[in-house]
Amino acid sequence: MDIRVPSLRSNSSVLIASMRMRLMTISRYPGQLVLDIIIPIVFAAMPILLGRATSGANAGVIFAQNTGTSNYVAYMLIGSSVFTIVSFAFWHIAYWLRWEQETGTLEALYLSPTARIWVVAGTALYSCLRSLFSALAAYLLGSFILGVKPFEGEVGLAFLFILSGLVPLYGLTLLFGAVVLKVKEANALINLMQWGVSFLMGIFFPIAVFPPLLRTLALLFPPTWMTNGVRAALLGVGYFFQEWYLDLAVLWAFLLVAPLFGYWVFANVETSVRRNEGVGQF
Amino acid sequence: MFGTVRVENLSKTYQVRQRKGLFKSQKTSVEALKGVTMEVHAGEIFGLLGPNGAGKTTLIKILTTLLLPTSGDAWVNGYRIGRQENQVRATVGCMLMGERGLYWKLTGRENLEYFGALYHLSLNERRRRAQEIIDLLSLKDISERTVETYSSGQKMNLAFGKALINDAPLLVLDEPTNTLDVPSASELRAIVRDLNAQGKTVIYTTHIMAEAETLCDRVAIIDYGRLLALGTINELKTSIERSQVTRIEGVISSKAVAAVRRLADVEQVTRTAKDGGDLLTVVTRNSHQILPQLIAVLSEAGAAIQKITPEEVTLEDVFIAKTGRTLAEDTRER
Repeated sequence: MDIRVPSLRSNSSVLIASMRMRLMTISRYPGQLVLDIIIPIVFAAMPILLGRATSGANAGVIFAQNTGTSNYVAYMLIGSSVFTIVSFAFWHIAYWLRWEQETGTLEALYLSPTARIWVVAGTALYSCLRSLFSALAAYLLGSFILGVKPFEGEVGLAFLFILSGLVPLYGLTLLFGAVVLKVKEANALINLMQWGVSFLMGIFFPIAVFPPLLRTLALLFPPTWMTNGVRAALLGVGYFFQEWYLDLAVLWAFLLVAPLFGYWVFANVETSVRRNEGVGQF
Repeated sequence: MFGTVRVENLSKTYQVRQRKGLFKSQKTSVEALKGVTMEVHAGEIFGLLGPNGAGKTTLIKILTTLLLPTSGDAWVNGYRIGRQENQVRATVGCMLMGERGLYWKLTGRENLEYFGALYHLSLNERRRRAQEIIDLLSLKDISERTVETYSSGQKMNLAFGKALINDAPLLVLDEPTNTLDVPSASELRAIVRDLNAQGKTVIYTTHIMAEAETLCDRVAIIDYGRLLALGTINELKTSIERSQVTRIEGVISSKAVAAVRRLADVEQVTRTAKDGGDLLTVVTRNSHQILPQLIAVLSEAGAAIQKITPEEVTLEDVFIAKTGRTLAEDTRER
């Protein structure tokens, strides 16, 4: 028997097969895809309606002073749409891992000679496609419902911020995946994380209103740069470092560090789990 | 060398938490494997026998790289576990989790093709191999249905098929006939024999003695994490040939069993349920000599004897002689 040495081509084939397999699986739950689009609109509608109900005559001026734009509705809708991408990334990776653990397919994956990173990358690619589709559809539908012009500002630059933020984001999900592998729990962790993430990345407010320590913490989190970059490109709220390319450079630095750090932690946790009870125990 | 497995002084200790009520727990160690040393030869069907919790699955999981051993070494197909893991994985076909380990929202064919990709088969090879397995296991009628619609036996068959996807020289099958009906189990064993005849080595765990007896070239008996016996079926039977087995059916109390155990020359005694009554299996040095004593002791202890049969040694008897228990007993409860 010849041992097949994994090549870039065969590993890419694993990546595509993993992505395709998950797309096929979700295609068998069509209702879920509809909900994926509705949820971010509902999420954005709550602060928008609250704002409309409670704002006074000069609310727009005060909001513009704090955020750099008076387009309150678009601000919330962008925050909610970017949060969809971030939240889905955590949900898809953590829930995928947990689901594979519970159904026994995680052990089956570990029995194969494929490096886990290719399967994770395939799952991340699937998650990217699904979350980008949902976020874009929700943004367009939400814009139509709430009376926002969706493509004002620099649309291409906004996309560049989103795409640049995806790699560090999935690097962070590996950290989260490591926790799921260790504690064998996903739902409670994700629910807890959702609030923390939405708070830190400032989906409904600028992080400038945070006290200094919290603001520093928020700036260590790539999705904060992603959200602000998109808002700055579309609404002109202002970049953290005044120029778009400086903010983008920070995201690219995260792009190099976060996946490597995430994978290093994941691999160490994986080894520790294999030393004791094994990856399949749930 | 392909098809061989060498295990040297392999041990595995788990850290587990024993729960004590709502909030209290205590960390304890469980020794699942204790210094197991053995070899599997190329081209044989090697049976691993032991009750639940004996350590079989732990051993299998170490050999298939799912777990790391606490100490000791092992080589699978000439590759060292813990060092050459991808080579080990590429050369082993595994069925470890019964009907689990399949994607229930995918069809049987989609499952096979996906796992083919994980073993680095090209798209054409995946499709060809999936079709070969579907034909071999007669899965044609269900191959385009999602796995969630399969019966338990059909899922087991597909899981077995998944183990064949990489056409590995070594197959590791962990209780593959569980949940299969009698004809399907017999069909699967025939396929295992055919695969073995084609040169594949098979490690086969089971707790069905008759299955091991008819299928395996050599057998290892594991209990409480220790290797208690290893050899061909005949060698194992011969190892207790000086002993003889007497089976006594009736209504036999624990007190009666204890009384039999106290008799000189009695090596092992086990009691199992049979047809609403009890079946006592007594391993002795000379069943004819001891029979009158045996009957007397049982009668004295109030046992109602219905039938007494002296029998030839079976693999089950070997197991009883080596472990003092039947396979039906659960090692985890200790």
